[in-house]
Amino acid sequence: MIYFDNAATSFPKPKAVIEAMEDYFFNIGGSTGRSGHRMAVKASELVFNTREQLAQLFKIKDSSRIVFTKNATESLNLAINGFLEKGDQVATTSMEHNSVMRPLRYLEQRGQIKIFTVQANREGLVDPEAFADILKKEKIKLVVVNHASNVTGSIAPIDIIAEIVHRYGSHMLVDAAQTAGAYPVDVASDNIDMLAFTGHKSLLGPQGTGGLYVREGIELSPIIRGGTGSNSEKEIQPDFLPDQFESGTLNIIGIAGLGAGVKYVLEQGVSNIRQEELKLTEMFIKEAGKIEGVELCGPSDMNKRVSVISFNISRYAPSTVAYLLDKHFDIACRSGLHCAPSAHATMGTHPQGTVRFAFGCFNNAAEIEKGLTALAEISLKEEY
Amino acid sequence: MPQVVVIVFKSTHDVIKAKSELEKACIAHELIPTPKEISSECGMSLRVEKPLLSRALELFQSTGVRYRDDLL
Repeated sequence: MIYFDNAATSFPKPKAVIEAMEDYFFNIGGSTGRSGHRMAVKASELVFNTREQLAQLFKIKDSSRIVFTKNATESLNLAINGFLEKGDQVATTSMEHNSVMRPLRYLEQRGQIKIFTVQANREGLVDPEAFADILKKEKIKLVVVNHASNVTGSIAPIDIIAEIVHRYGSHMLVDAAQTAGAYPVDVASDNIDMLAFTGHKSLLGPQGTGGLYVREGIELSPIIRGGTGSNSEKEIQPDFLPDQFESGTLNIIGIAGLGAGVKYVLEQGVSNIRQEELKLTEMFIKEAGKIEGVELCGPSDMNKRVSVISFNISRYAPSTVAYLLDKHFDIACRSGLHCAPSAHATMGTHPQGTVRFAFGCFNNAAEIEKGLTALAEISLKEEY
Repeated sequence: MPQVVVIVFKSTHDVIKAKSELEKACIAHELIPTPKEISSECGMSLRVEKPLLSRALELFQSTGVRYRDDLL
């Protein structure tokens, strides 16, 4: 099977990820923060080391500002629900995933917040000045921006947007689900207040892992409260990170795998991974554009996209193309709306959606060739 | 035998960070379950010999390890 569904979850994982998870189950056991025996200490060290590696990756000075969650969706829910209060106003883009839009729309429906949306162009690119237009007129507490679209792969210039956001005294939440590990993220130079990431995509960890970086000074309310192993004499939730947002036993085996995934990414270097994935993306886009009937979506400027590519083949429904690729060509990909209806509306592909290829760091040029051949065959055939 | 001091930390994250910093600085220490008479915390604490305490605390302050000053 050729795996082009890395925007859903990455596959395969580095062997070190599986080995780290095995090592935890076979040799470490133990929970973090509760007991003081050596097995518990080892587990606590493992969690600490993963946090430190993530801090190194995102250039975070104090790793205690990273909170573990089960995925980017939980991180975004924590950031949105924990930060916003009744009467607040939010600005976001038309390229957001439902992991942002659903928590926001829920608060809007309950009459608690007002949402302002920056419309991206048909390539999925947002103009940073459009945020200034809103921020000039309205008091916006939070700006939520998808770093790279899971539909078009289009990258938002988060550093430029953040500069505008802070100029007007607002705060910046970045959804890095598609960029963490695949595109450089620097919370200091990008001026990010909160960064939501998942562990199982380009960080190459297992599902069930993710996190939220919270800049010092950002006051969040927890969405879950409970035991943390600290301040146990009190029945009041601790007010310090990471404990404030990590009640209950952590997914230690997942965090063990995530740590090994992040270590792998750090060893390879995000810039190198980015260059390799960009080469495959360029190669695919250049050749796919020549196939009759193939309509590509997303930015034409390669520097403004990650390795996520949406397209359609004329005469075919996206789901039919994905089915044919799976059945006849052993190619795994995703079709439909990709949980981002507004991004598809922006591109003009709503409601039918698109076929999505998402390349990862373990794909190679030979696989891209096979993908192109498959698309050409499907496009040329009268009927399957 | 020199007197020993138990240092209690704000969170598990800080205990492990403290342990890692002490190891890097070659300051002898031992990780122990927090003694009941010091605090009702259910986590871990660090024990160091009293002559090493000031060096350890300086190290914690410079690296941002959050320890419980009130319980020293």
